[in-house]
Amino acid sequence: MLMSFSGIVFGVGFFIVTQAQTSGFQDFFIKTILGVDGMIRVEDRFQSTMRSMEAESGSNFQILLESNVRYIPGVQFPERLMATIQRFPGVVAAAPVVRGSGMLNANFRAHSCRPYGIDAEKHFQVSDLEEQIIRGSIEAFKANPYAVLVGERMAQRLSIHPGDSVLIESHKQNRSYRVAGVFETGIGQVDKERIFLHMPAARILLDRPNGASFIQINLEDPTKAPEVAERMQASLSHAATSWQWRERTWLQVFKVLRISSALTVSSIILIAGLGMFNTLAMIVIDKTREIAILRSIGYTRADIIKIFMYQGLIVLSVGILGGATFAAIITYSLSRLPIRIRGIFASDTFIVNWDIAHYLWAAAIATIVVGIASYFPARKAARLEPGVVIRSSGS
Amino acid sequence: MPPILEARNLSRHLGEGLTRVHALRNVSLKIEQGKTYSIVGHSGSGKSTLLYLLGLLDRAESGSIKLAGQATENLHDDERTELRNRFLGFVFQFHFLIKEFSVLDNVMIPMRKLGIKSPKAMKETGMSLLDSVGLADKALRMGNQLSGGEQQRVAIARALANDPQVVLADEPTGNLDRKNADRVFELLSNISRERGNAFVMVSHNMELAERCDVVMPMQDGRFLPVES
Repeated sequence: MLMSFSGIVFGVGFFIVTQAQTSGFQDFFIKTILGVDGMIRVEDRFQSTMRSMEAESGSNFQILLESNVRYIPGVQFPERLMATIQRFPGVVAAAPVVRGSGMLNANFRAHSCRPYGIDAEKHFQVSDLEEQIIRGSIEAFKANPYAVLVGERMAQRLSIHPGDSVLIESHKQNRSYRVAGVFETGIGQVDKERIFLHMPAARILLDRPNGASFIQINLEDPTKAPEVAERMQASLSHAATSWQWRERTWLQVFKVLRISSALTVSSIILIAGLGMFNTLAMIVIDKTREIAILRSIGYTRADIIKIFMYQGLIVLSVGILGGATFAAIITYSLSRLPIRIRGIFASDTFIVNWDIAHYLWAAAIATIVVGIASYFPARKAARLEPGVVIRSSGS
Repeated sequence: MPPILEARNLSRHLGEGLTRVHALRNVSLKIEQGKTYSIVGHSGSGKSTLLYLLGLLDRAESGSIKLAGQATENLHDDERTELRNRFLGFVFQFHFLIKEFSVLDNVMIPMRKLGIKSPKAMKETGMSLLDSVGLADKALRMGNQLSGGEQQRVAIARALANDPQVVLADEPTGNLDRKNADRVFELLSNISRERGNAFVMVSHNMELAERCDVVMPMQDGRFLPVES
């Protein structure tokens, strides 16, 4: 019984800990990507092209068919589109972005880059760029129309520091900018190649006097992004993608990890349940005479089932309590564990998520396993015929 | 006074196939309150089979049993169990005490099931019963810390816990030495007489059996005529 109890404690504990870790990393990843690329992105305009076909051979009656969708890159009238977007329920802010490509030269070295032209005030409402500045300052960026914000990895590779002057080459022109700050999102690709310029400067550099590449949108409730994006796409004639669709690969990876770890760790609880089943089955064999005497005294079959189920309940309750305490201690310890993570987000400690649902799920799984493990031996005990047992004990 | 326990034409086979035997053949009897009965006979005579049927621990193939005026043959297992709890007390050859419980707790088991008395009243009754079997001073000991004779006396106290109308005893002294056997029998028969219960004992021990009010010898699943 002690082994079964230990199994329940460790099974419940590890279940909670693994869920706290995987969901912690997932939540932090979501927070990071929302802080970088927003919740919805409205970009390329599309046009449905129609063709017609005869309803019947030789007939004059024609049926119109939607044959294809033609995409026109970018947003032609961003201000007008943003005004419409702002009227969608749940939209907090929208900001236009002009995007291009180029080469950044500094310290006699060159690195390919992706310039993003932003309207600083609007962009800060749809991203966490302000909080992602690790060197330099956002004020310096705001103050200088030819300032640039550079990703941490690029800054490291080119040895760029705030205050340095850099040359950006794009569309056959070289222009000089002052580095106002270095940002770190934790997403490797973004920190390696993305740079932020003020919109007017970006328009000149990218030779794009009007329009925008896309509009980045923030919502009150991130979970509503797919439905809002769908409505926007239907009514704005522009492709609208939610963060869930954009990051579906990573989200799928996290989901698979969570399920996989839950299944793996549940096997500990299952093994503990099997141990408990064995123990209770042995008790039934060992206590046959005691069960028979209880039955002869007046305890019903249901009473016998209750006695065994109570045993299971005691192990379960103490096991869940012990497991939850164990999990809370381990989760707290993990959250203090220093570990440098870069690539899909930036963190210097283990990320955990404190969620009562993890505790409830662990308790539910343990309850089901222990319930089944207790019920069958209990039922076997209840089926004993007292007369037969007592008679055979006496012979 | 109507009999507290009445059996009519009980029949029962035991075993299967080649080992199947006709253990009881149309046995009838009446048990009255305040009297002591002994059923005697050799092994295989059917006396224990009869006792288990009377105690509602087994079902007869034919015949009927009335306990406290209630027909029992068509009752559900739970109803028969309830009747056992209310009207019957059992003492077996082995004490079957629950070793994880104290002596007092063992005696209180039937009372807990009946659920009529308060915990305090159950404790008082338990102590009083242990006193009557001479074990009040050992009430808090564990069951397995007593001698064989003492354990059987605890089993008697337990059998009397709900003040049953009938006490059924299957070889209650079969596992004891002569001195302890005498003491246990005296206890059972005296307490039953004092309380006005019926006491039915199955025994090999003719000396003890003949000290009962009614002696019922059995052979081949039938009662033998009693010589007067």
